[in-house]
Amino acid sequence: MTTERVMLNDGWTCFQGANADDAAAYTATADLISILNTVDAPIVVARRDSVIVFFNKAAADVLGLSPSDIGRPFCDVSVLAGLPRLEERCSQVAASGVDSRADFRERDRWFVVRISPYTNGDRQVTGTVLTFTNVTAFRGSIDQAIYERECTKAILNTVGDPLVVLSADQRIQSGNRAFYSMFGVSRDETQGVPLYDLGGGAFELALLRTQLEEMLAGSHAFQPVEADLVLPGKGPRTLVLDARPLSFPGHSERRVLVTFQDITARKQAEAAKDLRSEAELRRSEAFLAEGQRLSVTGSFCWKVATDEITWSEQLYRIYEFEIGVPVTLERIRTRVHPGDLSVLEKMKMVGQARGGGHDFEWQYRLIMPDHSIKYLHAVAHAIRDRDGQLEYIAAVQDVTARRMSEEALAEARSELAKVARVTSLGVLTASIAHEVNQPLSGIITNASTCLRMLDADPPNVDGARETARRTIRDGNRASDVITRLRALFSKKEFTFELLDLNEVTREVIALSLSDLQRNRVALQLELAEDLPTIIGDRIQLQQVILNLLRNASDAMVDVHDRPRQLLVRTEREDGDRVRVSVRDAGVGVDPRSMNKLFDAFYTTKSDGMGIGLSVSRSIIEGHQGRLWAESNDGPGATFSFSIPSGPESVTNAAPR
Amino acid sequence: MMGKRSLVSVVDDDESVRESLPDLLREFGFAAEAFSSAEAFLASDVVSDTSCLLLDIAMPGMSGPELQQELIRRQQEIPIVFITAQGDKAVRPRLLAHGAVECLLKPFSETALLAAVNTALRMRSE
Ligand SMILES: Nc1ncnc2c1ncn2[C@@H]1O[C@H](COP(=O)(O)OP(=O)(O)OP(=O)(O)O)[C@@H](O)[C@H]1O
Ligand SMILES: [Mg+2]
Repeated sequence: MTTERVMLNDGWTCFQGANADDAAAYTATADLISILNTVDAPIVVARRDSVIVFFNKAAADVLGLSPSDIGRPFCDVSVLAGLPRLEERCSQVAASGVDSRADFRERDRWFVVRISPYTNGDRQVTGTVLTFTNVTAFRGSIDQAIYERECTKAILNTVGDPLVVLSADQRIQSGNRAFYSMFGVSRDETQGVPLYDLGGGAFELALLRTQLEEMLAGSHAFQPVEADLVLPGKGPRTLVLDARPLSFPGHSERRVLVTFQDITARKQAEAAKDLRSEAELRRSEAFLAEGQRLSVTGSFCWKVATDEITWSEQLYRIYEFEIGVPVTLERIRTRVHPGDLSVLEKMKMVGQARGGGHDFEWQYRLIMPDHSIKYLHAVAHAIRDRDGQLEYIAAVQDVTARRMSEEALAEARSELAKVARVTSLGVLTASIAHEVNQPLSGIITNASTCLRMLDADPPNVDGARETARRTIRDGNRASDVITRLRALFSKKEFTFELLDLNEVTREVIALSLSDLQRNRVALQLELAEDLPTIIGDRIQLQQVILNLLRNASDAMVDVHDRPRQLLVRTEREDGDRVRVSVRDAGVGVDPRSMNKLFDAFYTTKSDGMGIGLSVSRSIIEGHQGRLWAESNDGPGATFSFSIPSGPESVTNAAPR
Repeated sequence: MMGKRSLVSVVDDDESVRESLPDLLREFGFAAEAFSSAEAFLASDVVSDTSCLLLDIAMPGMSGPELQQELIRRQQEIPIVFITAQGDKAVRPRLLAHGAVECLLKPFSETALLAAVNTALRMRSE
């Protein structure tokens, strides 16, 4: 028996298997049922109260309806529960008599459900017919397309460079987010606007237009085009436009994708670089010239093969030749000191030597027309020119001033050293030795002569008496030497002059600087500006300062945990005195030995003589001054002396 | 006295040396002349007659070694005995290396002096 069962209710024909009473109706109904059962689309018929009265085979097969669902309302049939508001829709359709459509998803299948009114023979709407069309395949491809479009849109919107699609008539179709923000426009206001209206007409460029037209006509080539324009909120910009054709399968119309690249920053950087390198070149040329002038260094280039010599302006100035006159070895020779001509020749030979090409340096003198002498120091660097020819690039420095100051410095140093040495007992002995050996020598020689004269036959008594007298004289002389040496310590013999103690201090410091640096002493100078002059012995006072500096430096030798600070200060004191103090950060002085420091031969150093301070004190006292020591608040000690200022001290301090 | 006595010249800026040394040299049997400077010696007429030169090192004006060089330049090669009060032994080898016969440190004994002068004279006669 057939499984279909249609309940007859409210004028509904009931299809009750094969055993229907009305044969004709039965036949008609059976025909209809068999027709409906051949339709692939599921069909469900419901009463106005949404109770299912019939479904075809496809509905059983596709939707899984079962015979027991007949007579149930939609809401009781689980598969139809996925159709939202189905009952409501059905009653609307029944009421209005107008079809309705709904999308219906059943697991992974998509259906379009058409809801139509069911009209009985009396043209009365007694229910609805639901026809399900499986659109899964179709639906998938739409989904895919939507998905892809969304992806593309997302990608395009995340692309930093602006992109725009132009239609065949070069009107803007759509752009990415960057495009709209770059030009400060919205999608709506630019849709359909010609590209050339954008950016204040900046893209109205013949090269761009023809290329775009060609591309829209089928060309693929595009030469990027640069356009300058002012962008809202960004100022002047340079953009590079590139384009590529877009074609869509199934669409005959071509479109063009245009990209915009902002190269403003790059262009500016390039421009700046060009500008910079040009300025740098000009500046370095200026630097070189200025450097040559300042350092009194000239340069020349000597092509050995041709003897061609090119001079820098500064070299002309050094040689005191008119700038620009051709330089020949002959002309150079007229300036070179005769004693150094051989040096010049030798250098020439070295330069020309086969397999030459070594760097070398030499020193020589020039005699200028006014007979003054210039000392030059030259350094030559060998190079090969483009043809492989040997040439020398040389720097020639006028070291006259340096020589002079070196000489002056050496002189001052030796003078100072001479005096400073007196403070060291070693040198003192040498000087005592010399002074005493002379008369001792006389004594011994005279005594020898005397003895010989007395031993002679007959004895030369007169001669012996004479030599004995000389012996006595030499003995007195030796004793004078001792007295003189003692005087050296009591400092009675000064050469007094008007002195600026700042200058005196600066000179000593200049001489001690390298020593101090070697001992890593950080020197600080505080020289009073309004320092009155004093009357004194320059060398002696320098010797005092030197002693104090040395002691200070010595005192800091073992200091490793703090800076080796040395402060040398000059200042005006009340009562018209001038004070010089030397403050160190050294080991300091034990208060108990404070008094002993100034004693001769008191020392705590293995190589010390202990006479620096005693000599210094006697010098300062010779200047009517005072020399004393104090412990610092912090580490170290300060040694100071003060001497009266002004010319009145001359009368007081002048030697007898 | 027999024959011509050898002339020993003394060049020293120190007066007591100039006074005492010639007397002792004469006691030894030499002829002696004293000069207060190198320049004075060069200007004298005894340069070529001098058989031995007792020469101070440090003198104002031309120093002893400079006089030595000058004599070599003039091809007047007189044996030289340097005498110095400097008391610096270090100079001695240098002076000997430069051709000095001897270098006596003041004060020196008469024995040392005589030995040095005799050596000089022997060199002169060779
Ligand atoms: N700035 C100082 N800080 C600490 N101690 C000092 C300082 N100056 C001097 N002294 C102490 O005083 C002593 C005597 O110093 P002085 O200059 O008289 O002799 P010296 O430095 O030992 O030897 P020299 O005769 O070579 O100068 C030193 O050995 C040292 O102990
Ligand atoms: Mg000292």
